Order: sequence, then structure tokens, then C-alpha cells
Amino acid sequence: MTDANIEAVHRKTRQRLLFTGIHLVLYFSFTLNWTSWGEGLGGYLGESRLTGSLLMFVVLVLTFIVLETIFLMLSRREAR
Amino acid sequence: MQRLIFQVTPGIALLLWSDFIVAAGAIEGASGRQAVNPIAIGMFLLFVAFTLYVTWWAAKSTKTSSTFYNAGGQITGAQNGLAIAGDFMSAASFLGITGLMYVGGFDGLILSLGAFGAWPVFMFLFAKRVRNLGNFTFIDVISQRLDRDPIRLVTAFSTILIVIMYLIAQMVGAGTLIQFLFGLPYEWALLLVSVLVLAYVAFGGMLATTWVQIIKAGLLLTGVTLIAALLLADSGFSFSNLLGKAAVNHPSGEGILRAGSIFDDPVQILTIQVSMLFGTVGLPHILMRLFTVPDMRQAKLSAYYASLFIGYFYIALLVLGFGSIAYVAGNPEFLNEQGKLIGGSNMAAIHVATAMGGDILTGFMSAVCFATILAVVAGLTLSGAAAISHDVYAEVLKKGKPDPKTELRLTRISVLLIGFAAVSLGIAFQHENIAFIATIPMVVSASVTFPILFLSLFWKDFTTRGAMYGAGVGLISSIVLIVLGPQVWVSLLGNAEALFPYDYPALFTMPASVSIMVWVSLRDRSDRGAVDRDNYLRLLVRSEFGPSEKEMAQS
Repeated sequence: MTDANIEAVHRKTRQRLLFTGIHLVLYFSFTLNWTSWGEGLGGYLGESRLTGSLLMFVVLVLTFIVLETIFLMLSRREAR
Repeated sequence: MQRLIFQVTPGIALLLWSDFIVAAGAIEGASGRQAVNPIAIGMFLLFVAFTLYVTWWAAKSTKTSSTFYNAGGQITGAQNGLAIAGDFMSAASFLGITGLMYVGGFDGLILSLGAFGAWPVFMFLFAKRVRNLGNFTFIDVISQRLDRDPIRLVTAFSTILIVIMYLIAQMVGAGTLIQFLFGLPYEWALLLVSVLVLAYVAFGGMLATTWVQIIKAGLLLTGVTLIAALLLADSGFSFSNLLGKAAVNHPSGEGILRAGSIFDDPVQILTIQVSMLFGTVGLPHILMRLFTVPDMRQAKLSAYYASLFIGYFYIALLVLGFGSIAYVAGNPEFLNEQGKLIGGSNMAAIHVATAMGGDILTGFMSAVCFATILAVVAGLTLSGAAAISHDVYAEVLKKGKPDPKTELRLTRISVLLIGFAAVSLGIAFQHENIAFIATIPMVVSASVTFPILFLSLFWKDFTTRGAMYGAGVGLISSIVLIVLGPQVWVSLLGNAEALFPYDYPALFTMPASVSIMVWVSLRDRSDRGAVDRDNYLRLLVRSEFGPSEKEMAQS
């Protein structure tokens, strides 16, 4: 075990926890829909029947996938 | 009339499958049963014939316990991602989430997000590290750092508990669903599921189980894509139009397009989110799939592909859920004499298939539901068998040096025993309200499996003693709070009010379990505690870079 290896693992651990933290904040933000702070999400987007709540669901799913993609790309770059 | 159509089972219908099970009584009787659909039977027989062929092919290369447990590590990341997605895109997800959206519109999405949200965490925290440290089960990972015998026994016990509870819920739901869709008597339905699953698992091991899961996941994704496309086409390819139709058809009107139709307590939403996310990440049959790929890169890709497939699936269910309100609600074709939806709200997904594609699509989706049950039960059975034969027999009783032939034989015997238990318990619980049984696996997984695995991999001061005490607190508090909650205390025992207000207590039991693990570990001055701490750095490096050449040579 070299110091460089250990430092690399610690850096990777921080990265893992950072991504997990961002993900959890976004994930639990969905609860806002059921609180008074999230009342605005119930409104319609323009003339459509699409509400902010429904849009939030789709955006969260897509954001999680984007987060994973970034994580994978960073891992791949580090591996090189 | 509309009130009757949208009647919700008391408590949180979150219970996906269990909701369906509770409603089983309502399905019995000719008026509540789907007419026998020859297309469904034909398609199902085709699926069975093909998967049995796959099992025969897989059996030829399943000669050792290694190939039995992890398919010889020959599955690619994309294939494994689809199999992992298949494990989670169960009949419960498909029918339960669409059913809950049929009842409450937007509120049903909490389950979709809860289930999907687990996968990024799975990838960020576990995919690579678990793959690098384990061989066949996640218990291999933690027992490399902690005292192997006690930790293996505790985690194998929680694994078997999770598997058995999950199996009971699946089997009772399966019997009821198959009875409804195919007109088969309940007991025969269970027997059929069990015989097919035994064939897949006992002969084909993980290789056959994985391919059955891949085939089924492909069919399910095809089915939901087709229904969603037809729904959107019929609405002028405008999701907004579909939402408008749904709002007109539902007694809550436009209220279904925002939060509040079913749930009004944010704490309840948080308990569901915590249980779904951390419970899913700790499910043993999901973690076991990380060992079927050749290396850590493919393990990460597995988790990534699983996310893509599951994300797509839940976005398609968004269309199906609102589509079911728009096209099924109030349609006399799908209502019984009492004005209720035939088969209950969990049949909304099948009815919307009928509304969009007639008998052919109904037959296809019914066959897919049956296939889904087979694949999920197969994965669970394999995971339970591995816990008995690998974790307890090979690693604890034989100290990691079992006779390979005996181990493989014991695995197959374990599969038979689990199959027998599944059928017996499925019949025993047929007429019981077992909603709480479906709750236990998620809560125990979130309160026992997840904390042990996470702290083993990420905290240097974690010790065996801390793990044992924390697991005990997590397990006991989970069971006690579920018993005191609405599902058991009110629905099962008939009391007027629950002593604990939430169905899923993981929001409270998981922090309790983690706190005890941390508190006891920090105060642990034993020799074993020192060894556990010393093991951390070595395993940390190995978890990121894989085994060293010296370790490879030794193994």
C-alpha cells in the first residue's frame, strides 16, 4: 500500500460521498410537494395541464441519470 | 359511483403487492375474475418453453458452486443491468404503482421515485467496492473485515428473513394474480410457479436465473412502451391532453395532477422514501447480482444500465398511470356489479392494456406478469439458498473449506426446501391480511443490511461488536414498530388506533440502528475491535483497486 494509493482511495471516497450527498438532497426534495413550501409546484406550466410537481418528477429522474453519467465519466478519466 | 371506483384500501397502498393481496377477497368469484384469455395462455407457454430451453443450456455449464452462485462471472454489464432492472421491475411495481396512480394520481409517483432513487446510491457507494471484495454474496464483503462467524450468522439470518418474507408476499400475490388472470385455482397456481422456479434455479443456477430475468425485463419494457405509445397516440401525442382527460375522469379532478390525493403528512412521505431507497440498496438478491460480471468496471456499468432501464420504466409508468384514469375509470367494461374496478385497483394496468390493445395486448401483459413473478421468485430463491449453503454451511460450519460437491448438493437441497416453504406459506397465508409481511423486507434491509454494509466499507472505527448490537436494535425495532403500526395493530389485530402512526418505520429504525453501531463501536476496546479497525485500510485499498497480485495468487 503506497501513500499515493491511499490518497487516491480517500479522494475517491470523498467523491462517492459527495455524489451520494447531492443525490440524497435532490431525492428528499421531492417531499416539498407535500409541504407548504412546495405549494408553487402545484401550479400549471403555461397553458398545459403539466404541473410543476409532475415536471419535478421527470427532471429528478433525468438528473439522477446525469449524475451517474458524470460519476462514471470521472471514474473513467481517473482510471486512465 | 365514482367514489366506489376510487375506493382506497385503508392505510398506505404503498404496499404495492400487499395491497393486491389484501384485495384478494374482492377478486374471488366469477364476476371479479378475468375471462380466460387463450392468447395469454399461449404466450405464457411460449415463455415457459423458451426459458426452460435456456435452463437446459445453462445447466450444462453449471457444474460448480461458483458457476451456480455467480454464473461464472460471464454476464456483461448491459445484460446484468437489465437483469438487475428486472429484479426490481416486478409485478408489484408494474401493477402496484399503476394501481396507486389510478387511485391517487401524482401521489402514486412517490413509489416510483423511491424505487428509482436507490440505483444511483447503489452505484456511487456499493457497485465497485462490493464487487471487488466479495465472491458470491454481500456477506463475503463484510466478513472480510469483521469477525466472520458471528457476522455471517447475523447477516445470513437477516437475509433469510428478508427472502422468506419477500417470498410469502410474492407467492400470495402470485397465486391471487394468476387465479385472476388465468382462472387457475390458487393452490395450482402456486405449485406451477414453484415447479418452474425450482427447475430454473436448481438446474440452471444464477446463469439461468439471470437470463430468465433478462428475457422478462425485455418483454416488460416492450409491453409498457407499447401501451404508453398507444395512450399518447390516442391523445394526439400530447401528454397534456392525456392529463386533461384523466383529470376529468377522476373524482379529485385536477387534484390528481399535484400532491395530496392520498398522502398529506410529509413525515409519512419521508418514511416511505427512506424505506424504499435504503431498503432497496440492501436487498440481498440485488447485491448478489454484482458478482455475476467479470470485473469492477462491468459492475459499475451494471448499476448504470439498471438505472437507465428502471428510469425509463418509471417514466413510462407515469403515462400508464394517468392513462389508466383517462381510459379505464368510469368505463363500464372494466367495472363489476358493485361499480368497482374488476380485480381491484392493481388491475388498472391490465385494464388499460385491454383498452388500448384488446385481447392481444391483454394476453401479452398477463403473460409478462406471470413471467415477472417467476423471475423474481427465482432470484429470491437463489439468494436464500446461497445464504444457507455458502454463508452458513461453507463459510461458518466448514470454515471456508467445504467439499465443493457437497456444497453444490446442499445448495440444490436448499432450493428445494425454500420452494417447499414458499408454497406451504403461500397456502397458509392465503386468506390472511399479510400486508405487514411485505413491509418487513424493506425495513429490515434498510435497518440491518444497509448500515452494516455501508459502515464496513466507509468507516474505519466500525467493529463486529457495534455491528451485532446495531443489527439487533435494527431488527427488533423494525418488527416492534411494524407490529405497533396501522397494518398490524389496526388492520390485523382490530384495535381502534395505531400506537405508532407509520406503516414503514425505517425513518426511525435505521438511524437507531446506525447510532447504536457507532456508539458501541467507539466504546469497543476489545482485541477483536482492534483487528476490525486494522482491517479497514487494507480492504479500503482493495475495494478501489481490486485484489493485489499477491492476494490473487493466494486465492
